[in-house]
Amino acid sequence: MTSERKFICVSCPLGCGLTVTLDDSGEVTKVEGNTCARGESYARSEVKDPRRVFASTVRVRGGKLPVCPVRSKTPAPKGKLFDITRAVASLEVEAPIKIGQVLIHNVCGTDTDIVASRDLEAV
Amino acid sequence: MSERIDVLIIGAGPAGVAAGIGAKREGAERVVVIERDWDLGGILQQCIHPGFGLRTFKEELTGPEYMHRFIQQAHEAGVEFRTNTMVFQIDRENNTVWTMNKERGIESLNPSAIVLTMGCRERPLGAIRIPGTRPSGIYTAGTAQRFVNMEGYMPGKRAVILGSGDIGLIMARRMIWEGATVEGVYEVMSWPGGLRRNIAQCLDDYGIPFHLRTTVTRIHGQDRLKGVTVAEVDDHMTPVKGTERFVECDTLLLAIGLIPENELSRMAGVDIHPVTGGPVVDDLLQTSNPGIFAAGNVVIVYDLVDNVSDEGLIAGTNAARFAAGKISSAKRIPVKGGENVRLYSPQIVTGETDSTIFMRVTHPIEKACRVFAVTDNGTELYTQRLRYARPGEMNEVRINSVKLKESGNVSNITIDIQEVK
Repeated sequence: MTSERKFICVSCPLGCGLTVTLDDSGEVTKVEGNTCARGESYARSEVKDPRRVFASTVRVRGGKLPVCPVRSKTPAPKGKLFDITRAVASLEVEAPIKIGQVLIHNVCGTDTDIVASRDLEAV
Repeated sequence: MSERIDVLIIGAGPAGVAAGIGAKREGAERVVVIERDWDLGGILQQCIHPGFGLRTFKEELTGPEYMHRFIQQAHEAGVEFRTNTMVFQIDRENNTVWTMNKERGIESLNPSAIVLTMGCRERPLGAIRIPGTRPSGIYTAGTAQRFVNMEGYMPGKRAVILGSGDIGLIMARRMIWEGATVEGVYEVMSWPGGLRRNIAQCLDDYGIPFHLRTTVTRIHGQDRLKGVTVAEVDDHMTPVKGTERFVECDTLLLAIGLIPENELSRMAGVDIHPVTGGPVVDDLLQTSNPGIFAAGNVVIVYDLVDNVSDEGLIAGTNAARFAAGKISSAKRIPVKGGENVRLYSPQIVTGETDSTIFMRVTHPIEKACRVFAVTDNGTELYTQRLRYARPGEMNEVRINSVKLKESGNVSNITIDIQEVK
């Protein structure tokens, strides 16, 4: 028995409609609807290990803004996103902050880091 | 005594910063960008989600990361920035721009060329006349985005989103990640306003219901928003009796469109296009007022910041050329939109350069179609097959200047998107 999954590719603004065919052991046998190689790899990842880049803010002490934007350096497992929101929400960082600065190593054991996505001066 | 400047740029968002880079690279000596905020980068500083710059940088950056790269380039190129400074008067007759700043006071600048890059604003509640009360808890999606991402406040706990523009979709996910509930997204049209991928990654990922052909018909609550009435609409966008239902919420976010911000453009006396709401520009991005250029969302609201930066570079480059006396009044061929074209820019082609015309369709075509440009003497300047055309996704027409020259005496160009029969 093969099965089919349909979803929208989120790799770029085109948003291609993808159809992925899986065999009975859950292996991908066919990807259709993509118009580039990024779509193919997104489709494969989405059925086996869906991931998203996480982006939020952390509280800042003594900064020009009370919060600083952060992101996961690489896409994090979708199932861990809410754990990551809690880890990020409980963090407070001292200004100044540099873009790319690692604020949480290996967040929630996901092998990705939470990094600052802007420079933030101290006041 | 007015200060001499080669190229003056108004607004340090993505268009203005790129315009600065373009002007410096073209050789303008003094290039000054005026910014009313304390920080550079414009709205992208609050767009903290990834999705920017895939075309320019081959990777998806967050808004602040995208701007960081451009701001660095601008500093390296020698662009001067004045933050916390507001342009309050453009007096084109005397070639003077007046600014104010807390420390420097009121100053007059004397630029050889100006680039308008003020961006756009969100359509507010007042623009859609919803019956009911006016309690607290109603914000445009971008205002809520600024509260959450830059000021550290949550606007509420249970949100309804009216309109499906990208900012609204992005804010739906943002509210969820911050622990709020999003009851649903309501869109009066039969198609989404934002990109499909944002419906997938911001709504579908979190099971947020998306209702097309549905709108908010009443606002409830005295001091604080208590809820909204939603109803389905018919083909004339009139609410259908019997479909009303009450939705409890303490927050209503509006993602109902963006309007180019052109108070200063009007003051400068440039022609404003009745449909785009932005200055009429030619392919050099020069407005109807020689020496005044415009780029980015102040001209037409783009889908992608990559396009805004590209247009900024073009406008800055040409403003520097104008300042150096290198732009003469060339021939001007008007561009007309075909039957299924809602808006487009630029509206005039000089043919001095290759150019891209950005356009949106009025009605979606969900089958093979083609976007094309044809001259009034029958020369096809461009044609490209498309799998579909949607109002929420801009299309592009490229005009090759050599091909245009070869097509002889052209008095206008028509662009359109039509189904392939």
